[in-house]
Amino acid sequence: MRLMVFSDIHGNLEALQSVLADAAQRNVDRSICLGDLVGYGPNPNECVSLIRSLNKCRCLAGNHDAAIFWGMSPYGMTGAARKSIFWTMEQLTPENKNYLQGLPDRLDILNMTFVHANPYNPRGWNYVLDRKYALRSFAATACRNLFIGHSHRPMVITRKNILSIDLLEVSGSRNIAVKDTKRRIVNCGSVGQPRDADPRACYLVVDLKKEVFEYYRVEYDLEKTVKAIRSAGLPALLGRRLMNGT
Amino acid sequence: MRIKQYGQWKTANLKQRFFYWSAAILVGGGLLLSLLSFWNTRRLLMADAMTKSEVILREVEAIRSYVKEELRPKMYELHGRDKFIIEAMSTTYISTNIMSRSAESMPQYSYRRVSLNPHNPGNLADPFEDEMFNWFEEDPTRMFWQGIVKKNGASFFVSMVPDYFEVSCIRCHGKAEDAPKELIARYGLDGGFRFKAGDLAGINSVAIPVSDSLREAWQGSLVLFALTLGGSFFLLWLLTLLFQRLVVERLAVMLSLVNHREPGKKSMFNGGDEIDVLHDSFGALGSYVRSARKGASLQPNFIGPYVVESPIAAGAISWIYQGHVAKTKEKVSLKIGFDDVLQNPLYHACLKTELGLFEKLSHPCLPEVKERVGDDLILEEVRGRSLIHLLDKGPLGEQLLLYVFSQLCDLVASFHAAGVVHHDLRPHILMLDEQGKLNLIDMGLATVDQQQDPIMAAGLGPQGDLLYLAPEQIRGERGDPRSDIYALGVLLYFSATGQLPFSEERKTEQQWLRHKKLIKKGDISRGSLSESFEQIAYRALSYEAEKRYQWVEDMWKELGALQVNGVCGRTIENNRGHSDDGGT
Ligand SMILES: [Fe+2]
Ligand SMILES: [Fe+2]
Repeated sequence: MRLMVFSDIHGNLEALQSVLADAAQRNVDRSICLGDLVGYGPNPNECVSLIRSLNKCRCLAGNHDAAIFWGMSPYGMTGAARKSIFWTMEQLTPENKNYLQGLPDRLDILNMTFVHANPYNPRGWNYVLDRKYALRSFAATACRNLFIGHSHRPMVITRKNILSIDLLEVSGSRNIAVKDTKRRIVNCGSVGQPRDADPRACYLVVDLKKEVFEYYRVEYDLEKTVKAIRSAGLPALLGRRLMNGT
Repeated sequence: MRIKQYGQWKTANLKQRFFYWSAAILVGGGLLLSLLSFWNTRRLLMADAMTKSEVILREVEAIRSYVKEELRPKMYELHGRDKFIIEAMSTTYISTNIMSRSAESMPQYSYRRVSLNPHNPGNLADPFEDEMFNWFEEDPTRMFWQGIVKKNGASFFVSMVPDYFEVSCIRCHGKAEDAPKELIARYGLDGGFRFKAGDLAGINSVAIPVSDSLREAWQGSLVLFALTLGGSFFLLWLLTLLFQRLVVERLAVMLSLVNHREPGKKSMFNGGDEIDVLHDSFGALGSYVRSARKGASLQPNFIGPYVVESPIAAGAISWIYQGHVAKTKEKVSLKIGFDDVLQNPLYHACLKTELGLFEKLSHPCLPEVKERVGDDLILEEVRGRSLIHLLDKGPLGEQLLLYVFSQLCDLVASFHAAGVVHHDLRPHILMLDEQGKLNLIDMGLATVDQQQDPIMAAGLGPQGDLLYLAPEQIRGERGDPRSDIYALGVLLYFSATGQLPFSEERKTEQQWLRHKKLIKKGDISRGSLSESFEQIAYRALSYEAEKRYQWVEDMWKELGALQVNGVCGRTIENNRGHSDDGGT
């Protein structure tokens, strides 16, 4: 079984298409999208429709998706994010909005759990980036591997014992073989707005048989997305963030 | 009692009834417990006082008889019959004197020797003792009295023994003129005379104060009552929580299924608690079973603009009929729920899920939905015959088998990827047309992971054909994707050999479980299958879900790789390619 895990597309159609084209060569059996399909980016409808058309793909709700139907208040977001949410609300077709509203918060499949932000308070949208929140996430689940997105930073957190963790920031395309039975939190990075100083789109393939996490970074037509952001009238800051990977 | 709206489920008052009754029982029990404890403490207190006072009275008795029998005669012998020394010869004087001395060291006990007509006015009976004189005099066989007496606001445990005059006493207590002059000189002529032998002389009594101990006992039981009350309410809280989890919530789910109202229609249930409502619902199910046995179901002739022809196959809760559009004669298939089954709201909920899945999922092996008319689906025409018909004539050829399973595995993988578990895969609902194209026509028992599962919530037990069910489903659990993989294993074996991997004569669920645990490789195929094919089938047929393939895709990968070696170990002549549309 080879499972593709990707997240945080944020309306970046160029990045999503490149990622899907790359994944098509990697013998993926199923895929799971961890949410944040829209927000920031210029092509929300196209991205949602593309995800909906995918075969054997399951999708979870992210905070930006929830903000579209006021499942969380856009007024709690930063200026650029808030502006793009209101813009996206106008752009989305009713079917696509309905689709976003029907997305679940969490999936449990065999010994894996999938959430957008964290498992202990899924609609609180805390980032799991340090020991405190990682331990809290381990405590809130019983699964062996927990897959998350939301922070836009690819990362593997290994639970060493009840008090300590090992935090590995993953840079570039890289295979991480699992050699033990320790519990892990795996952040699959972001397709449409990476924030680890590497502007390439990021996604993850989990080979369950070989026990390998395969991270892939994919180049895409950045210029095209930046231009589309500008012509959509979205804040120029969003384009700069894509160029810098922040 | 009205059924009220509660959250998203309607619930009645089972929880309140449970709470009030448990509270009443626990509080009543606590009260009883503390009363019992008070009664027991008081009983122990009394027993203790009784023993102590008996000791004292016996002692007094011994002193008096010593004076009477030893000391007084000796005095007469030494000093002559005329002399009467009170300090050495009066039983009453000596005994009260000794006891008042010992009372100094044991102030909690008070000893009294009283009389109605004493020499010493200090020994005159008080009104209560006066009454006790009467009580003893009424019946000379009464030799003892004990009880609680209230005096000056305090309670005492009092023991009393009557004392009767003997002949030797009469010298001092008979006629005053016979009495010794020492006695008259000390006490005068007022009291203590005119008795004769056998008269009630006085009462010896010991009083032990018990007010404090009784108060302590009372306080103890109050504390106990408070503690049990607190403990009870904690227990009650836990029990209510447990009851809510185990019973009320699950009942509420079932209830929401049986009590869902169509707009404009009145609910069929409007009284009693959850159990009553379910009782009514299962009554309706019973009447369905009875009418179904009589063959009461009628085949509809028309549904909207469609003409219904003969049935093709039966699903879990619905028929698939052939049919056509009345005007254009275009052929269609119709999915129509079993009329009477749908009277049971639980199965009706299952049908709704099924129809929703047909509408939502799209796959080459699922007939496309043309229209939904009420609770009936109009599907594109399903051609061909069911797999069970084909297998009646013998095993599928290798080529066809692999083609069928490539489609079936992809279909099931699509279900699982969408969070759907079919739960009821069997050859009767798999239709194959002349080209080997597969169509699944029923999902009556399927579940979706984000939706409530009516069958599980109702605890209906195993649903489906026991032959194809995984052990965990037979045990009454609701299966996961790996249960579908078990059914695929049975189908795979069946398709390759034309026989089931176990004989069909087993009847009870327990027998099936035992049988499914025992199947061994090569049991029935007897070498007609290749080693690697059998390996795949038996891995899918593992009794424990953890030992099976965990993913349909993994199973298909191994099965698909067999094409070179073949199912039966022979090479395949014209290896037809199959469409593997897996992957994203
Ligand atoms: Fe995000
Ligand atoms: Fe997010």
